[in-house]
Amino acid sequence: MLDVLTIPFMQNAIIGGILLAVLLSVLSIFINIKNWSFINVGISHATFGGLALGVYLGVSPISLGLAFAITTGFFIGYISKKGNIHEDISIGILFSISMALGVIFLTLTPNYTSDLFTFLFGNILTITKQDIYLLVIFSIFTFGYLYFFFQKILFCCYNEEVAYTSGINTNFYYYSLITIIAVATVLAVKLVGVILASAMIILPAATTSQMFWHYKKIIITAVLLSIIIVFAGIFVSYQYNLPSGATIVFIYGIVFFITIFVKNIIQVIQHGSS
Amino acid sequence: MKILEVKDLTVKLDNKTILENINFEVKKGEILAIVGPNGGGKTTLLKTILGFIKPYRGKVEILGLPPKKAVKTGKIGYLPQKNNTPKKFPVSVLDVVMFGLVNSKLSKNEKLQKALEYLDYVGMKDFKDRPFSDLSGGQQQRVSIARVLVAEPEIIFLDEPSTGIDVVAQESFYEFLKKLRDQKNITVVMVTHDVGAVAKYVDKVAGLNRYLHFYGSPKDFFKKDILSKLYGADIELIVHSEECVTCEHFRFKTEDKTC
Ligand SMILES: Nc1ncnc2c1ncn2[C@@H]1O[C@H](COP(=O)(O)OP(=O)(O)O)[C@@H](O)[C@H]1O
Ligand SMILES: [Mg+2]
Repeated sequence: MLDVLTIPFMQNAIIGGILLAVLLSVLSIFINIKNWSFINVGISHATFGGLALGVYLGVSPISLGLAFAITTGFFIGYISKKGNIHEDISIGILFSISMALGVIFLTLTPNYTSDLFTFLFGNILTITKQDIYLLVIFSIFTFGYLYFFFQKILFCCYNEEVAYTSGINTNFYYYSLITIIAVATVLAVKLVGVILASAMIILPAATTSQMFWHYKKIIITAVLLSIIIVFAGIFVSYQYNLPSGATIVFIYGIVFFITIFVKNIIQVIQHGSS
Repeated sequence: MKILEVKDLTVKLDNKTILENINFEVKKGEILAIVGPNGGGKTTLLKTILGFIKPYRGKVEILGLPPKKAVKTGKIGYLPQKNNTPKKFPVSVLDVVMFGLVNSKLSKNEKLQKALEYLDYVGMKDFKDRPFSDLSGGQQQRVSIARVLVAEPEIIFLDEPSTGIDVVAQESFYEFLKKLRDQKNITVVMVTHDVGAVAKYVDKVAGLNRYLHFYGSPKDFFKKDILSKLYGADIELIVHSEECVTCEHFRFKTEDKTC
């Protein structure tokens, strides 16, 4: 059963998947407390345009994907700072255009139609050694950043005006956090594709914040849960020949709903007996 | 020594003039109360002083610096009127007070001691490990005040700090502010509706309703022409006796008929 661990591309998939699980589940606390799922959906969809343009032009898709992701992240971040993000149609239009362009670029590129599916839904088996190095370097950078600045970032999330008057450079933390989330999202695209990348960064803390109220416990359980789910997802998808990204996100979704269900049952029991 | 200066300040929001030609100065160690009707521009004034809103005309200096530079010194404390912290924010009461020390150079243990000391100060020490979001509005307000004070700022701006604190606690809250000023020479600028407290605890009153109708000591503030100019001509004052002017039961009829 565990013979999958000895296949080289499966090793890459598992190492890459687990690194991503840790990275994205830690970042997911911010997406959840700031209600940033919309930013993340926007970023991941816009990424597609960049990746496709890269393929079309024959330059590195990942660099153009990054450029698109960060630009979109800054734009949405700026808009959401100005007013109510959910009322802003320009964001929805912007990332729709980016996706539409992505489809056009890819269909204009001869022999590249197979990439469409990979970009949209990901293929964990295409994770290379190079992707893993990139992930390791970026994870080290991100965890270093969070190690030094976590309290300040949390303070900004708590109340930006108050943090600003306490002498914190709130704009720096705001945009640097969005940039990190944008890069992490692009890295996740390889694993689960643009459509499901946001799920990987929304669901972990969304699930564990149903279980615990304190951020430390939310983060730790989100990390553990994500590692288990990604591992299970890779294994199940290999065993039954299913798409890996969809399998992983499906398991995340199931766990999320089971958590909500169990939580409600517990609440009903507690209220019933008191 | 002046710690805050507001000069020829005019503020427009959406092309509407909210504040017009405001001038005043606050000296170190003074307690200033900003009073006036709802929508009179009190919050806008604080936000302009702190640099969130750009003046249309005029200037502000805190600690001798323009607002955006002054906040970087970490010597300013701010308690906003609305705490727009996201619901279910995943921190404990103690975490919130510790936010006040993010820029501090103290060791972790010293920070903890200090945070607990200030939580005790506001009577919330027993709640230290509780979720902040589970507290009542008044309790959150107290914790926020501990968060402001723990940083030991030189000047603090409080926007309706007594909201959600009951009347008895309000009295001791103003007492507490006064003690703080006496002990640590903190300058306090607060917005309040509690005109009664003004007479008893503050050094200066600013009566604000688009214009600064009054700026001076509280004993000069309680004059009918000033109050009617500030709150509108039809306001009817209930002043039982001379003493009542300085007693905490002083109220406007529109708010409270029990005086
Ligand atoms: N962002 C804004 N844009 C336009 N008008 C505003 C804005 N914020 C406040 N106002 C207006 O400015 C006036 C003063 O508001 P505010 O400073 O909150 O008064 P107060 O704190 O004294 O109750 C009100 O008429 C309010 O409608
Ligand atoms: Mg106000």
